[in-house]
Amino acid sequence: MSIAIVGTGQTVHARRRTDVSQAGLAREAVIEALADAGLTMDDIDSVIVASGPAMFGAVNQPEKWLVDALGARYKPLVRVTSGGGTGLAGALAAINQINGGSARRVLVVAYDKLSEGALQASISTLYDPFWGREFAVGIMGFAAAYWHARIEKLGHTEEAAALVAVKNRRQAMANPKAHVRREVTVDEVMASRPLCWPIKLLDVPPISDGACAVIFAAGGDAEAITDRPAWIHGMTYYSEADNGADRSMLQSEPLQIAAAKVYKQAGITNPFRQFDVAEVQEPYTCFELSYYEGLGLCPEGGAAELIESGETAMGGSLPVNPSGGCMGANPIGATALIRLAEAAMQVTGKAGDHQVVGAERALVQAGGGWANLRGVAAVGAEKR
Amino acid sequence: MKGETMTTTDAPTASDEMESLAAQLRMPYTLTPGWATGIFLAELGRHRLIGSRHGDTISVPAQDFSGTSGEPTEGLVEVAPVGALQGFTTTADGTLGLVLIDGTDIPMIHRLLDFDSETLQIGARVEAVWSDKPVGSMLDLAGFALASSSESFSPRAVPGDLLPPVLQVDYSMTLDYQHAYGPYYGTLFNAVKYDRRLRGVTCTKCARVLLPPRAMCDVCFAPTSQWVDIDAVGTVQASSIVHIEFIGQRMKPPYVYSEIVLDGTSTRLIHMIGDVDAEDAKTAATPGARVRAVWSDRRTGSLTDIDYFKLIP
Repeated sequence: MSIAIVGTGQTVHARRRTDVSQAGLAREAVIEALADAGLTMDDIDSVIVASGPAMFGAVNQPEKWLVDALGARYKPLVRVTSGGGTGLAGALAAINQINGGSARRVLVVAYDKLSEGALQASISTLYDPFWGREFAVGIMGFAAAYWHARIEKLGHTEEAAALVAVKNRRQAMANPKAHVRREVTVDEVMASRPLCWPIKLLDVPPISDGACAVIFAAGGDAEAITDRPAWIHGMTYYSEADNGADRSMLQSEPLQIAAAKVYKQAGITNPFRQFDVAEVQEPYTCFELSYYEGLGLCPEGGAAELIESGETAMGGSLPVNPSGGCMGANPIGATALIRLAEAAMQVTGKAGDHQVVGAERALVQAGGGWANLRGVAAVGAEKR
Repeated sequence: MKGETMTTTDAPTASDEMESLAAQLRMPYTLTPGWATGIFLAELGRHRLIGSRHGDTISVPAQDFSGTSGEPTEGLVEVAPVGALQGFTTTADGTLGLVLIDGTDIPMIHRLLDFDSETLQIGARVEAVWSDKPVGSMLDLAGFALASSSESFSPRAVPGDLLPPVLQVDYSMTLDYQHAYGPYYGTLFNAVKYDRRLRGVTCTKCARVLLPPRAMCDVCFAPTSQWVDIDAVGTVQASSIVHIEFIGQRMKPPYVYSEIVLDGTSTRLIHMIGDVDAEDAKTAATPGARVRAVWSDRRTGSLTDIDYFKLIP
C-alpha cells in the first residue's frame, strides 16, 4: 500500500524548556503537524507516542499523561521506545498500522525532555547489571572505544570526524528549529576538551528538550489531504544480538541489512547517486562516518575520504544532514523522527533556508542500542 | 550460597547458584510542571488553591490542557480550600483520599490527616491543612483534615497578585533491585568470588566459547553445553579514555573503558584498564593490546572482583 507523510511539526528545541511540561512539549509539535496537514485531532485514527527510556524523565508510562494534552481521548494510543531509534520505530509502527488496515491516518509524536534527568547515569542502566554497568559511561565510553578501533582499522581519524562537526554545525545555522547554532572550526574541535577520548566536547551534540510529530496517511487519504505528500519508499528496523560472538563492531550489521532491504523496496541500486539528500542520526561525529559505510555511500574504509571531498556538505552531490542533524538538536526520543520529518520536508520543498534544491529522494538512518538496533527509511516526492 | 569447588564439566545446579545481586539506582531530577500547575504550586505557599477552567469543567490542581479536548485552559480560578471526601484507602504509611473541592469537577488525590474510623466516611467535609514551611512543592498542601467550619466559596477570579509559576520541581528516585543470578551468571560469579576463575560455555554447534555464559548461542541459536575455564588474559578489542564526570558515576575519572576478548572466547568483557597514565593509554591501551586481570581483595561475586586489567608489556 502507498503511504505518505502529510504533515510534520517540531518544537523549538532548547537545553531546557521551563515553560512547558513533558506533555506540553509533545503537544507543541502535534499542533504544528496538524496545522501543516490542515487536519484536527478528529481526523486522526490512531496515535503512537515515542519517547526514550522512562528513566530519562522520571515519568513511567508517560503516554497515559499525554492523552490529555494531545486531545487523544477515546483513540487507540500506544507507546514505542527504542533508544536513539525510538522515533523511527514509532514511524514504523504507524506504517504497520496503516498497512494492516487498522488505521488510515496515524499521528506519531516523539519527544524527550532530557533536561529533567541525569542523562549518562540513565543511559548506563541500559547495560546488563551483571556485565559492564559498573564501568559504563552512558553510551559514550562504548561509542568512543569503537571509534578508537575504527580509527585504527578504517582510518576514521579525529580530523575526519571534526569535519562532520564543522559541516553539521554550519548547516544547523540555517535551521530555525536548531537548538545550537554556532559554527566551529576543525582546530576548535580538535582542541576541545576530551570527554571520552577520542570523543571530545565538540564531537558531541547538545542535550535537548524537544519533540517532533509526523502524520502518516494511506494513499488516497494522503492525496486528499495535501498536493505534496512525501511518499514512503521503504522503511525497516533491524537488530543484532547485543553480545553475540565475534562482533567486531567495525560495521553495524543490522544497518547494512536494513539499508539493503530499504534500497530493494525503494528501487535504489546506487544510493550515493540516486538519493538527493540524507538525514542520519549522529549522536557523536564518529557515527556519521560509520554510517556512510554502513549505508553503502562509500566503500568500507572510505568514509574519511568522503567527508573530506565535501560531497556530503550542502552544495555537494549528496548533502547529509542539511538540518544540522543531532549537532543542531538532540532530544533523544525525538531525534530519529526529526530525521524522517526533515527528509519529508526536503522532498516536498518545505525545508526553507536549508532546502536542497530540487530534492526528490531522501535517505533516513536512525538507531538505538549498542550498534545493534538500526533503522533505515527512504522517502520521495514520487508516489510509490 | 555454597562455596564447594566445581569441576570444569559440571552443569550448573541449584546448589551452585548465588541468589541475587543487589543493585541500587539513585537518580536526581528537575521536573517541569508547566504554566498552570506551576502557578498552582506557587500559590500553595499563600494558602490558595488555584484551578483551571476548561469549558464547563474546573480542574484542581490547575492543568495546562483539557483532558476532554486537549485544548489549552481558558483561564485560572481560585477555589475554596474545602471539599467533600469521595473515596479513601489506608496503608501502613497513612491514608490517601480523593477530595472533590467545592465547585470543581474532578477529585484530587492527597493525604488525609487526623481522621479516625468514626470520621473517615465518604461524603465527609474536609479542609486544607497547610505546611508551615512552603518549598514550592505539592506538599506545601500538607493534606486534608475534617472541616472545622462550613465556610466555602464558589470558584472565583484569581487574585491580582498571582505568583509566577514554579518552573522546576526537584525530585529524586532511589530504586533498589535484586537481580537474580540464575544458573549461568550464578556459576560464573560463584567461581569468580570463591575460586577467582572465569567460566564460559561452549556452543554445541559452532564451538565458540561465550562469556558471560548463557543457555543458547546467540548466533547459531543452538544450546550451549560444556563449561570452560577461561584465563583472565586477553586482547583489547576497543578502548576509550574517560574524562567526563557525571552524576551516578561509579569511578573517579580518568580511567580507561575497555572491551576485552579473553583468550579462547568470542565475546566481549567490559572492564577498565588500570595502572596506566591517561595520555599514555592513547597508544598503549589501544585495540590489539594484551591485558591480564588484577584481582581485588573484595569478594562480591561481580566483575568488580577484578580491580582492573593491566597491560602486558
